[in-house]
Amino acid sequence: MDGSGDNNGDLGYQNRAESVMNCPSSGMNTNPFYASAWDPVVSLSQPGNFVGSSTGSQSEFSNSPFPIVMENPGISNTCHLVRYPSDSGFIELVPKFPGFGSGNFSEIVGSLGLTECSQIVNAGCPPNYKEANNESTSHGAQRQEDHQLSEETTIGALPNGKRRRRAAESNSPFDPNKNAEGEFQKYPSGESSDSAKELDEKKQKIEQNRGANSCGKQVVKQTKDNPQSREAPKENYIHVRARRGQATNSHSLAERVRREKISERMRMLQELVPGCNKITGKAVMLDEIINYVQSLQQQVEFLSMKLATVNPELYNDVERIQSKDILHSRGGNEAIRGLSPGTNSHQYSHGTFQPGIPVIPNPNPHFSPAHHAILDNELQSFFQMGFDSSSAIDSLGPNAGHLKPEL
Amino acid sequence: MTTKHVIATAHTRSIKNRFARRFLRSLLKMKRSNRLGTGFQSNEDIRKRNTQRIKTAADRSMARVVGPRKIWSRALLFKLRNRARIQVGLRNRCLVSKKKKVQRKEKKVQVISREPNRADNLRKLVPGGDSMDICSLLEETAHYIKCLATQVKVMQSIADLYST
Repeated sequence: MDGSGDNNGDLGYQNRAESVMNCPSSGMNTNPFYASAWDPVVSLSQPGNFVGSSTGSQSEFSNSPFPIVMENPGISNTCHLVRYPSDSGFIELVPKFPGFGSGNFSEIVGSLGLTECSQIVNAGCPPNYKEANNESTSHGAQRQEDHQLSEETTIGALPNGKRRRRAAESNSPFDPNKNAEGEFQKYPSGESSDSAKELDEKKQKIEQNRGANSCGKQVVKQTKDNPQSREAPKENYIHVRARRGQATNSHSLAERVRREKISERMRMLQELVPGCNKITGKAVMLDEIINYVQSLQQQVEFLSMKLATVNPELYNDVERIQSKDILHSRGGNEAIRGLSPGTNSHQYSHGTFQPGIPVIPNPNPHFSPAHHAILDNELQSFFQMGFDSSSAIDSLGPNAGHLKPEL
Repeated sequence: MTTKHVIATAHTRSIKNRFARRFLRSLLKMKRSNRLGTGFQSNEDIRKRNTQRIKTAADRSMARVVGPRKIWSRALLFKLRNRARIQVGLRNRCLVSKKKKVQRKEKKVQVISREPNRADNLRKLVPGGDSMDICSLLEETAHYIKCLATQVKVMQSIADLYST
């Protein structure tokens, strides 16, 4: 994918364009072009071909776009057209064509003759015409409007989400070449992260190239429906796509992104906090999280108290501990007594850790083993209430039975 | 999510080991400083002081292990350092330095007025939570919970080692 993406660079386009353009008639004028421009559209409108395999529809396609392609021998990315059909999203763009095309085609055709292809580009078919690069800014502005229009009309049409947010898209001089490249990248490689990253990087470059003509940022935001979403983390822009039937206001889209972020984090927390699988709702979840954090902090305090009482022997042996012992024994201890998430619910939240129990006021700094036994029994039962491991409970005997109902 | 879980557990394991080592090192330091003589204090006081020392040692070593990459670890280290400085100032009875430290503390506190939110309690619990928006607060909470859990595990196993 990366290789193909790199090949789709400027050099690669021209090579492929030449190979594709075996057809003659480089002198086609605009009118037949205009007429034939709709041919691929018509052929596209047959649903069966697109949703299915790419190769079948590809063959269908390979014939029809030639007339379009032949207009300009300097076409650099005609390969885009060939690969077009592999994008199943394209079919949904088809009905849009008449919508945005009708008003503008006449003007654009008059000026360039290839702009419907650029329209197609914007929808996803990127012929890269050199003439386009030499446009005056007025045409560029026009194109940009069309482009933007196409973007907005295609909101919701492409279920295969690519995340895209174009800031300052409309006003700056439009570079269809690069944009076409960028857009094209998506289609053959589908949802692969590499191409999306390249695409996004290129988009970033495009935006940088365009400069900051942002009077009123045109943020075309679209949120993605596909679970395989990826955000190139190094990007400056967060590209999102609106789902079908949802508001396309930039504010609401931003809010939706924010809400999704928050819910994603809540889900992560749900996994961390034991016993929260069945909780639906942020409020209850937040309460559970607060309780859990409080309980963990109390545990730390309690354990530090315990370590303080155990300390004299600890000091003697701390060098020994620093060796592998502690690191290996931890595994065993966990099996018996460690935090076992998911084994129970909410007991930690209700039971207040009672630090008073093990702290036995004793003037003698050296605790006798009897005290230690009591201490540890209390601790063990204590933790078992929270973390329900059956093997240790049996060893506790009556204590466990006594202490548990309190919770 | 499964790959995330795997990565998370591997990550936690390394945190665990690093925390264990640091914590033990700090306990060793404490042992040496204890030896220097605290005969004039009662045993209760010694125990209380040791408790607090151990707790701060645990918190500090955990924050160091995590590093300055997380907001909560930075805030925790900052708080601990301030507390230590204030205590040192008190001990030396140097009012001037105390004022300085207090000023620094006040600078750090940002007054953010909000409606009473459910998440306010969470902000109080997570170190540095006052100056975070909900989104990052949740993220920090997740990482904080993970680290607290490993801290508890390590301390528990150390304690067990001496109780058996």
